[in-house]
This record gives sequence, structure tokens and C-alpha cells, in this order.
Amino acid sequence: MRRAVPSGRLHTTALCAIACLFACGNGTARAEDANSWRELETKYIFGFTTGSGIGLEGEKEFTVESLGRFGKRDGSYAATETKYEFEFTPSQFIQIEFGALGSTHNISGVTGLDDRNQAALAGAFAEFRYLAIERTSNNPLSVTLAVEPTVRRIDETSGERVRNFEFETTVNADLELMRNRLYAGFNLLYEPEVTQTVIGDTQREAAFGGSAALSLRVVSNVLIGGEVWYLRHYDAANLTSFTGDAVMLGPTLYVQFTPKIFMVAAWNTQVWGREIGNPVSLNLAEFQRNRAKLKFAWEF
Amino acid sequence: MLKRPTLAALAAIAIFQVSPSQAQQATEIRLTYSQGQFQPSQVSAPADKPIAFRIKNLDTKAMEFESSSLRVEKVVAAGTEGIVNVRALKPGRYEFYDDFNDKARGALTVQ
Repeated sequence: MRRAVPSGRLHTTALCAIACLFACGNGTARAEDANSWRELETKYIFGFTTGSGIGLEGEKEFTVESLGRFGKRDGSYAATETKYEFEFTPSQFIQIEFGALGSTHNISGVTGLDDRNQAALAGAFAEFRYLAIERTSNNPLSVTLAVEPTVRRIDETSGERVRNFEFETTVNADLELMRNRLYAGFNLLYEPEVTQTVIGDTQREAAFGGSAALSLRVVSNVLIGGEVWYLRHYDAANLTSFTGDAVMLGPTLYVQFTPKIFMVAAWNTQVWGREIGNPVSLNLAEFQRNRAKLKFAWEF
Repeated sequence: MLKRPTLAALAAIAIFQVSPSQAQQATEIRLTYSQGQFQPSQVSAPADKPIAFRIKNLDTKAMEFESSSLRVEKVVAAGTEGIVNVRALKPGRYEFYDDFNDKARGALTVQ
């Protein structure tokens, strides 16, 4: 009974309440002309969808980003992965990030997964981003290509000890629809991975999909929005063995506390999904019922 | 055997954006920062040529020259001068500001 649907509504309401608090608490800003606001870095304004921003040359940033996954077909399932990340921008076209991963797993009574209650250092990652198309006052589109190799010693889903190698490749695009006010974001994702279990099995799989997001700058330092993801899962890296897909949908929030400190929050709920060979609603074998993102960043 | 040098060259181009345009002499733009304002606050430069901002901070406290569209930032201490190099730009309007002072704004028009 403590499944994620009511929890999802609670988190969605909480996100909206936080956004309203910031929006209503800044009445003078509301009356401002958006043209007087500073231009925005778009990388983090779309929730799970990543914008095209790569930061400013010479800029450094430390971020803590937690991703939570909640709800399987039965039992109780909660898993988080936290990135402790350093990112810097060595040129006006490249951004580099790297860091460590921590994970927690609280699993009880889920079919196919061992019960587990653990926290662990899960692995490490790096990300390289290249700005391929830059936005100007005459061109609202900006596109960045990104690759993110990741090594894990703890399986993301089950929490088991494994050796996992993942190579996420994304295209991050965004459009400024209304100057300084309304933005659209689009991601294309291909994420192959290979996992070696403790008993020596090797599993290859991949995720492929895309997202679309809208983000509205309600006051100069707060954006609220929504995003939708379509994700497909394959039991092969070359996308030949399709096992299921899912659609996830939810609200996003971005708050700039000071010019150097900001936060991102997002919540996605699976609204449609299918498992090949299993006539049930939703895909809870490869994806979760809900996922959440909370990120805090300090630039210096 | 050719693969490694080729990959290294591509990486160098990506990181440092080595291009014929950067071999050109940069257009220098001189700005002063005084009493919390840029002078001049509206400047222009030709398209497709690199730009060097030379910012002289005449105030008694540090300022940070910053621009999201130019993708640069640099702290200029009180009474000193800072140089910010910018890639060759496409035509358009590029805003800049002092990150420590919300009222200090300016814009570069590239034609």
C-alpha cells in the first residue's frame, strides 16, 4: 500500500508548491520585463532532460545530484544513485565532468530481486560535452553532443555486486521560444552497457529513447516546466533484441538562489509501458514506476 | 598507425577550436568599468573574427565580466585590467554584465 502512486502525487504537489512559493514571493520580479533579465544557462532547466549549455570558459562547478527510482510490480522498491561531480569548461566549446557515484538500495519482496538494504560507493563516471550548434540572437537553436562513460561495481537496479560498463551518448538540443522566458528542450539517448555478474555471466543491454520538455521562466530566478520521456530497452547493445518500452511524464523545477548557486528538482511517473511477452500494464521490469531528481550546484 | 594522431588532432581541434579564423588578429574592444557601469556599454565588432575584450576596472572593488552568450567570465580586481578572448562570432547581439552587480550591463553587436 505504500506504492509510489500517492507518493508521486505528493512529490508533484510539493514541486508545484515550492515553485509557487518562489514565484509568489517575488512580486516585483513578476512585473519585470523578461528582456531585462540576464540570459540563462539552459543545461539544467529541463529536469531529467539536459539542455545544450556547456557553461562559461574558465567556470568550475561542484554538484551533488541524486536520482531516485521507486516502485516495481510488487513489494517495496527504492534505489538512489548520487553523483558527486566536478565540472569545468576549458574552452568556449567543450565541457568536461567527472566524479564518483554513491548508491542506496532498499528492496523488499520484489519478484526477481533479492531483499536488500544497503548503501555503497557504486562507481565513477566522466562526461565530455561538445557544443555543435550555438545559439545567437538570430538563431534560437543550440545543440550539444555528449558522451558519458561510467563504471559501476554495484548494479543500478538490483544493488548486487557486479562489474558494469556503460557508455551513454546523448544529443542535447534546446530552443529559446520566447526570449528569456520560454524554452523547449529535446534529448536523444543511446545507452549501451555490459555487465559481468559475480558468477561470471555477461549481460549486454541498451536503452534508446528521447525526450521533450518545456520550461517557463516565471520570475528571473525560477523556472517551472514539464517533460516527457519515451524509453526503449534491448537485451543487446546493437538494438536487436527489444524487450519493452515506457513513457514517463512529470514536472520540473529550477531555482537560482544566487548567481553561483542553483538547484534542480524533477519527478517522472511512468504513464504507459509494455513488457514484451507479458500482457500487463506498464513496464516495471526494466523501468521504475517513478523517478526523482534533486541536484544542487555551486559554481566557482 | 594513422588512427591515433588523427584522433589526437580531432581532440585538439575540439578543445582549442584551432581554426583559420583564430589565426586572424583579434578585434580589440576596450571597456572601462567605473561607478558600477561599463563605458561604453554598447560596442560592435565584425563577424567571423576573434575578439579580445580589454576591461579596465577603475572601481575600488573587484568586478566579474561575464556573458552567457559569449560563454566567458573573468574576475578583474580593483584598479587592474583584464583581457577576455572570445572566439570568432556570428552576427547577432551578445549581452555582457558584471556578475557582482546586476545593474552593470552592456551589449556587443556583431555585424
